[in-house]
Amino acid sequence: MVQINFANKEIQCKIVYYGPGMSGKTTNLEVVHKKAPTNSKGDLTSIATEGDRTLFFDFMPLDLGNIAGIKTKFQLYTVPGQVYYNSTRKLVLQGVDGIVFVADSQADKIEDNLESLGNLRGNLREYGRDFDSIPIVFQFNKRDLPTALPIEVLQEKLGSGSAPYFEAVASTGEGVFPTLKALASLVLESINRDKREGSLTEVKVASSPTARPGAGARPAASAAAPARPAPARPAAAPARPATAPARPADRFAGRPAATATAPPTAAQPARPPRPEHTGRQVTEPVGRPASMPVGKVRIKEHGHKSRMILTLVIAAVIVAAVGFVIAKYI
Amino acid sequence: MTKPTRQLTDAELRERRLVFYKEDIQSIDSALRDFLARSKSKACLLVDKDGHLITQEGQVSRSDTDTLSALVAGCFAATREMARILGEEEFTALFHQGRRDNLQLSLVGSRTILAVLFDDTTTIGMVRLYSAETARKLGMLFKKIATRDPLSTPRGDDEQLSEGFQAAAADTLDSVFGEN
Repeated sequence: MVQINFANKEIQCKIVYYGPGMSGKTTNLEVVHKKAPTNSKGDLTSIATEGDRTLFFDFMPLDLGNIAGIKTKFQLYTVPGQVYYNSTRKLVLQGVDGIVFVADSQADKIEDNLESLGNLRGNLREYGRDFDSIPIVFQFNKRDLPTALPIEVLQEKLGSGSAPYFEAVASTGEGVFPTLKALASLVLESINRDKREGSLTEVKVASSPTARPGAGARPAASAAAPARPAPARPAAAPARPATAPARPADRFAGRPAATATAPPTAAQPARPPRPEHTGRQVTEPVGRPASMPVGKVRIKEHGHKSRMILTLVIAAVIVAAVGFVIAKYI
Repeated sequence: MTKPTRQLTDAELRERRLVFYKEDIQSIDSALRDFLARSKSKACLLVDKDGHLITQEGQVSRSDTDTLSALVAGCFAATREMARILGEEEFTALFHQGRRDNLQLSLVGSRTILAVLFDDTTTIGMVRLYSAETARKLGMLFKKIATRDPLSTPRGDDEQLSEGFQAAAADTLDSVFGEN
């Protein structure tokens, strides 16, 4: 999730390069690292196997500098592509703000692409995230290979719909920057959209949203969302290459509609606290915040029970001793 | 694999965003400075679970902290997965021992991690003791922040995104990535 720190005047966003093994995700990041202005980029860190296959993730911070007085930083990650690394792949997706799906254009890789895309959807679902509501850009890589499928075929097979896409030959750097630029634009636009809805003037830190009493003040902004005119997403359009059909607007025009189908936010303040928070939290010994009152209450109950048991044991011992004395002398 | 989670609404996703204002960071920094003084540690970072640095105190160069934050979050995420496999909800503390410096990671609240760098001028026991205490303090602070009525504190222009953010973003992207 985007983190906004008004003390440091800083915004941090997380971008993940996803796709099947050997599709060029790490190469994309290497090109970004090589070509990005020196004062913008940090070190490229890879957690890789001996054979240079990504084991956990590659990481590179990219500092865009000041945007309207706010220092804006992107954290770029890649995931391991191989099927059997799904557990680590899923971990990297946590809190993602935007995704570049790097597809291998070769005809014999279409199944790998499909599997990876399905895996992405599934992993996002496990985080409660909707694939269609996350900023995503497709990159059809390895366009220089003779076995590369036509773009229309790739789009149809992958069902990328109206999502922005770019053709690329990552090994030469072609298409790498335009892809990232388009996604960065979508992510920043999503932050700006939330600002217009007023949600950035509130603070949410480490707490269950529904448990927050202040939530009652929010419905006006949230309820206004469905009525919000479909944003033209102007930033996405100029970033797209000539090869991209004029479809992104369809996809994103659909997003407010999706918002409209969400449960009415006006009902949210009345929603009862979520019962799933009551069960297992007492087991965490360190850092259990005071924001978990249920856990605290249970700890208290536990202490009370202990005292009761101790009292009963002492009483039993006294009774046994008295009984022993009586039995012996009477 | 864990069970599929209920899909979050747009509003819930926005709720999950971490937004910190000046007074929040001042309070957190104060707690961290106090922790460093008492535990005699070299430095500490407060990182969110997505790998973004929130704030830092002590001797760590800023250039290293982005990568360190990402690795701390990755490390914790991997450990959480191990905990799940072993039937634990979450491991709440991790310790990395080095020849000179050591790193202690503790969960703070449900969404942040305290990473403490220390050497042999102190002990792991001291660091753990004061980490737990600081985690409790920060947890209470986070609760206070989260339950604050947002309308009770009007925000100045320097604590909101400006109207020209999107246009400025487009210009910045052109300058970093070129106009293609």
